[in-house]
Amino acid sequence: MSTFVIALNTFREAVRDKILYVLTLFAFMLIMVSRAVGWVSYGGELKITTDLGLLAIWLFGAFIAIFIGTGMIYKEIDKRTLYTILSKPIDRWQFVVGKYLGLLLTIYVSLTILSVIFFGYLALMGAPIGLPILQAVLLTYLEMMVVTAIAIFFSSASTPVLSAIFTSVLFGVGQLTKWIVDLGSILRTSAPWVEEFLHGLYLVMPNLHNFNVRQEAVVAAGNAGALALPWSELGYVAQYGISYSVVLLLLAILLFRRRNF
Amino acid sequence: MAEASNEPALRIAGLRMIYNPGLLQKPKLAVDNLDLEVPRGSIFGFLGQNGAGKTSTIKILVGLQFATAGQAWILGTNIVERGARASVGYMPENPYFYEYLTAVETLDFYGQLSGMAKEARRARAAELIESFGLGHARDVPMRQFSKGMRQRLGLAQAILHAPPVVILDEPMSGLDPLGRRDIRNTILSLRDKGCTVFFSSHILSDVADICDRVCVIHRGKKISEGPIHSLLSNRVLEVELAASGVPPEGLPDAAALARRAWHDGALYHLLLADEETAQKAKALLEAKGATIRLLMPHVESLEEYFVRVTGEKPPAPDAKVRGAAE
Repeated sequence: MSTFVIALNTFREAVRDKILYVLTLFAFMLIMVSRAVGWVSYGGELKITTDLGLLAIWLFGAFIAIFIGTGMIYKEIDKRTLYTILSKPIDRWQFVVGKYLGLLLTIYVSLTILSVIFFGYLALMGAPIGLPILQAVLLTYLEMMVVTAIAIFFSSASTPVLSAIFTSVLFGVGQLTKWIVDLGSILRTSAPWVEEFLHGLYLVMPNLHNFNVRQEAVVAAGNAGALALPWSELGYVAQYGISYSVVLLLLAILLFRRRNF
Repeated sequence: MAEASNEPALRIAGLRMIYNPGLLQKPKLAVDNLDLEVPRGSIFGFLGQNGAGKTSTIKILVGLQFATAGQAWILGTNIVERGARASVGYMPENPYFYEYLTAVETLDFYGQLSGMAKEARRARAAELIESFGLGHARDVPMRQFSKGMRQRLGLAQAILHAPPVVILDEPMSGLDPLGRRDIRNTILSLRDKGCTVFFSSHILSDVADICDRVCVIHRGKKISEGPIHSLLSNRVLEVELAASGVPPEGLPDAAALARRAWHDGALYHLLLADEETAQKAKALLEAKGATIRLLMPHVESLEEYFVRVTGEKPPAPDAKVRGAAE
């Protein structure tokens, strides 16, 4: 119960925070700009619009997760609002999970609003809104679950600036994880430890590339029966996202549960 | 653990808190083997200078910090258990709230965290908002609240769920006299309803006015504890004498006996070391035809007691500075 009370309060905070409206406006403008870019591209207007629209939704989610999520727990400590909360009969894990769920709810509500605008825009252009596009949006939702968990993990142990840097780096590296294992051959080194190290890094780093089917969605859009990703693979990616987020949240709780305030 | 009826409201045994600030810095001992018992239904004052260990002790009691050693129980339940916090209302020093919430929303939020049912928390919040004089600001966001209003709302959130034990950290810090009076009256009314109030303060006069028992803590160690009247010495520290109609030739002899002499208009004041000297000075002045207007022995005040047991100056009423590891 307390977890949801904290989650709903976190959502309320984000809704009353002006930055959310600025970011929404930014994403909305990006979707609109896609129309202008579409005009100057010969024959690919619809594809560009779809591509930029999906990119705007993805970027918007990542922005909220990183810039609101990384300061979330630190702000509670710094402003001492935490004192009156943790003195109530709640467990510390409930606080961490509540903050996480609250931010995730914020992101999901915002993404839903943007997606509805985006789909409406596509419909106005006469473009079909097929399963590939819905899959791309769904995977963005799942990716944000991981990015939010990364932000909360760093926020439970570090300052907002450092957390934002670490989360942004991990978010960036996460897009390139699948190339990490190939880095050994690219670097042309035969040292086995390099290969092992890179493989270890590959396993530890979040593989956010898994969640990116935007290109596939753009290509498959409009093709009857086409999918951006087979459902079984999407299920695997969802499992991966949930597991990775749970592990990160457990680590965040471990860091948070014995802290002195 | 179930509440044991014979248990005191608060019991602390061998509590110790050491802060380790970092690799290159020396550990700081904040609380040193503290033992304490707070009887049920009492107002208990926790006194000490900045950095004495008051806030550290309180933070351990309410689950914000973890003791290096020792244990504590609230109504018989160990503080490491979540249930202990259900029996406690806590107000931190200078309470902070979410700036975007109104007073009503703030209390509703804390009521939910305390497990109160919707109807009960709404009724109780409305009652407290009115009784704390915040009726005009019930729908005003916290960012517009003054310090005094925040302090009152801080107390309201602490007692919202009617806890049997209330722990207040410097509840009167930075308040004007009226605000201090309101908090004092609230503390007294809580005791009248059977609640135990444990509070730290550096304003000794407030503690002396309302506390049944006090504990003085100094550099993490308990210096003394007990009912105020049993701690203060009954020994007469000095005697103040005031006389009028003193002829000029009559003053030097009496003034020679005094520690200090001054005059206030036509009234001459003498501060004398003890009652015997005061009687001598009185006799001298009366012999010269003066009229004795005042003869008042001074017994030990809480402030003087504080100086005696700690060997240091008492905390300045408005010079409270947050100590990092207090």
